[in-house]
Amino acid sequence: MSFTGVGVREELQPNPTAGSVAPRRSRSRRWAFVGILPFAAYISIFLLIPTGELIVGAFRTANGTWTLANIHDIFRAPYPQAFEFSLELSALSAAIGGIFGFVVANAFLHRGIPRWIRSAYISFSGMAANFAGVPLAFAYGATLGSLGVVTILLKHLGLHIYPSFSLQGLLGASIVYAYFQFPLMILLMVPVIEGLRTEWREAASNLGASTFTFWRYVGLPIITPSLLGLVVLLFGNAFSAYATAQALGISNLVTIDIAQLVNGNMTLNPQDAYALASAMILIIVVTITIYSLLQRRTSKWLR
Amino acid sequence: MAQVSVPAVRPAPNRIRQAKHRAPVWNFVLLLLGAIFFLVPIYSIVQFSLQGTAGQGGFLHWYLTVFDDPVFRSSFWLSVQIALETVIASLVLMVPTVFWVHLRLPGLRPVMDLVSVIPFVVPPIVLIVGLAPFLKDFSSWLFVRPEVLALIYVVFALPFMYRALDAGLRAIDLKTLTEAAQSLGASIPRTLFRVILPNLRTAIIGGSLLTVAIAMGEFTVASLMGFTTFAVYTYQIGISTAYEGVALAFISFLLVWGAMLALYLLGRGGRGAAAVAITD
Amino acid sequence: MATVELRGLRRTFGAVVALDHLDLNVNSGEFVSLLGPSGCGKTTALRIVAGFEWPDSGQVLVDGEDVLDKAANKRNMGMVFQAYSLFPNMTAQQNVEFGLRVRKESREARGKRASELLELVGLASAMSRYPRQMSGGQQQRVALARSLAIQPSVLLLDEPLSALDAKVRVQLREEVRRIQQELGITTLYVTHDQEEALSISDRVAVMSQGRVEQLGTPAQIYSGPRTAFVANFVGTMNKLQGTVVSTQDRTVRCGPLLLSVPDPSFNHPVGETVELFLRPEDISLEMLSNGDKPAAGLVEGRVMSLTFLGPVTRVGLATDIGTLLADVSSAVALNLAADTVVAVKLDSASLHSITL
Repeated sequence: MSFTGVGVREELQPNPTAGSVAPRRSRSRRWAFVGILPFAAYISIFLLIPTGELIVGAFRTANGTWTLANIHDIFRAPYPQAFEFSLELSALSAAIGGIFGFVVANAFLHRGIPRWIRSAYISFSGMAANFAGVPLAFAYGATLGSLGVVTILLKHLGLHIYPSFSLQGLLGASIVYAYFQFPLMILLMVPVIEGLRTEWREAASNLGASTFTFWRYVGLPIITPSLLGLVVLLFGNAFSAYATAQALGISNLVTIDIAQLVNGNMTLNPQDAYALASAMILIIVVTITIYSLLQRRTSKWLR
Repeated sequence: MAQVSVPAVRPAPNRIRQAKHRAPVWNFVLLLLGAIFFLVPIYSIVQFSLQGTAGQGGFLHWYLTVFDDPVFRSSFWLSVQIALETVIASLVLMVPTVFWVHLRLPGLRPVMDLVSVIPFVVPPIVLIVGLAPFLKDFSSWLFVRPEVLALIYVVFALPFMYRALDAGLRAIDLKTLTEAAQSLGASIPRTLFRVILPNLRTAIIGGSLLTVAIAMGEFTVASLMGFTTFAVYTYQIGISTAYEGVALAFISFLLVWGAMLALYLLGRGGRGAAAVAITD
Repeated sequence: MATVELRGLRRTFGAVVALDHLDLNVNSGEFVSLLGPSGCGKTTALRIVAGFEWPDSGQVLVDGEDVLDKAANKRNMGMVFQAYSLFPNMTAQQNVEFGLRVRKESREARGKRASELLELVGLASAMSRYPRQMSGGQQQRVALARSLAIQPSVLLLDEPLSALDAKVRVQLREEVRRIQQELGITTLYVTHDQEEALSISDRVAVMSQGRVEQLGTPAQIYSGPRTAFVANFVGTMNKLQGTVVSTQDRTVRCGPLLLSVPDPSFNHPVGETVELFLRPEDISLEMLSNGDKPAAGLVEGRVMSLTFLGPVTRVGLATDIGTLLADVSSAVALNLAADTVVAVKLDSASLHSITL
């Protein structure tokens, strides 16, 4: 999941009456809603209803009676550990990707940097952000796996990262996740940084401020909400990830656990799956809410 | 020619002060680190996949092995089919809808913006949890047809298709064009097909490319529903044979690279295609 | 207050020559406008003075000292940009205080100075407002206050009023001038609006293609243009073509008229074709009764267009010596209609000849 662009909330234009004349307005309005039916139906069938079903299902037993047992199950092993690891992995990869992404985006947006570097970075970021999933996991297997190219290189230099390092561990998985978090942050940060008008920098400079002072009083205060919001978004992004984790062989992750419940590998327990999935939705809703609140603050200034 | 100040002696040309414009070294260091981070895994898969094991033939060995596998071809073909179906379904659903909202229901734009965000809140793994029993109950034959995947993928592609089309429509003055067409006698459908669509070509192609990338790379739903798409095939091969898996990873990389390159070139030629990213 | 001198500034962007050996000097406390069409290099020149651009060669001397080696944030100049330069995350007061904060003034001193300056620009009541809560005109006033807070030696303004409504523009330019005179600060003002430049400057430098075409007081620029460009750019000019009859007497034959050129330096040889310029307000019209011919020294003209400009009406005339524009009082113009034939009188004393 991802966005580009800052403050997607643009100003609402006053409702144009596009083609309809006053007396007919209410009638043509009603008919107009018919045009939206196919979309509404589709969304309901393939998105809203399934989501609703699973949220409801989290509170029901296999027989259909109401219960909180499924919710209780979440707090029993092995789920808390899975949540813990999911949250840690999401947080660490979001932090790594977020900071690195911000810093690098800032670096190539400097006016002294040739334009082709900016283009190269943006195109590669578009590619890398889409490379997530099974191929990415295998790519890192070839890089930092036990027989990986970098692993062997480090061995030659005397650094034996195995067995303490593992691609399924927190650090290893975070590095893999960072491969799509980092470029995503770049793509999302570019419009924010470019939103800082050159007039502000020049005015600050003219008034005597150094680059540092500008960032301290003007630059960072303006973009920090956006920066934080994007890191939060990255968090949610990592939390939802499944394919990469599965291909890496991670076993104690919320998404992996859900998959196994639905697959029937562990125990055939769809109720627990519903509960876990609902918990996931809750967490993601919270992250998106925080993200959009922070985003709104920045877009207020960047217009 | 009026001149007021007359310099007695023209001073020697000053040193070019472009030095002040050069970026600090730190920037270059960071950019280099970023490039290394990006390129090392790519280099690794290339090197890894080109390593033959002793006595097993030339450096393209793994690629040839993979190409020989009939399941490679069938899974690839399946993915391509599903991708195309997804694009078509997506366009058929979204183009008229977004057009209609822009034209007649502009008050619904914020609602649409919100709805286009919901697929992010319901990641694939969660969606499949909600869908599986539903589909099973509804009709078991539906459950086994791969077209179902296409219909589901439309949901995943929704945010990107919507954004591309929304941006494309915003870039053209829909209201004015439509009114002009109508004043010349065109009906709404005709306006859509003859006037609006040609102007949305860039946005449509952009959105479609992203949709194809999503559909070709999707693993979660396909694997849990038991279909052998290209991503699922890559997984199955990769967890048993590392070398072939890596070769497949490289092929995937080329695919995504190709799609993004096409998108980039497209973005330079026309308007309305925003560069967007998808993950997992 | 400082003096500013630009010497031989040259700047190219690839094949485009933005500044072509620009020379200019500004006296202490003087208000000089750089006036010219887009692309003439005026903004580039200003930005070089401010330190946001550097020339390929040349010098910028402030009080005799070359400032090109100094970074922009060390030059102690105030700059007002065209738009959007207020820091959006700060109130008006905080914006004005910014320069003082950088200089580590105490909170008290900053507050006092900010109040003073916002008072000076008439916005004391808006101290706690954010830029997005202010109109364009108000924002530019705050920008002006902000640039003055640091007590700069030179004030630079880059088309500060271009983005504002016409009425606000007129009001604000008077204020800018008033404040500038009150503080006596050396000012360099860039604009493409000649009315603006002529109304508030001590001197105007008309620029074209990277050079100063003419530097002079507004009156000098208007009444005594020295090049064809200045003549055409500032105000409206009628162009007449004629042949020199006598170099000594400085007479030129233009159609049926024998014109006397006032400029003593006019020395074109006999028989040469020259161009003469005349402002619309220096042409007057006399009514002709049907069939009458114009008196000697006047030429016949047929009214082709009448453009109402308020106090005067601009009359487009077709004559034997070309198409002319004449400004007559609107009251008189009431007697005119399309195709009316009038007698056109040229005020020779106001003829300009441009010597290249």
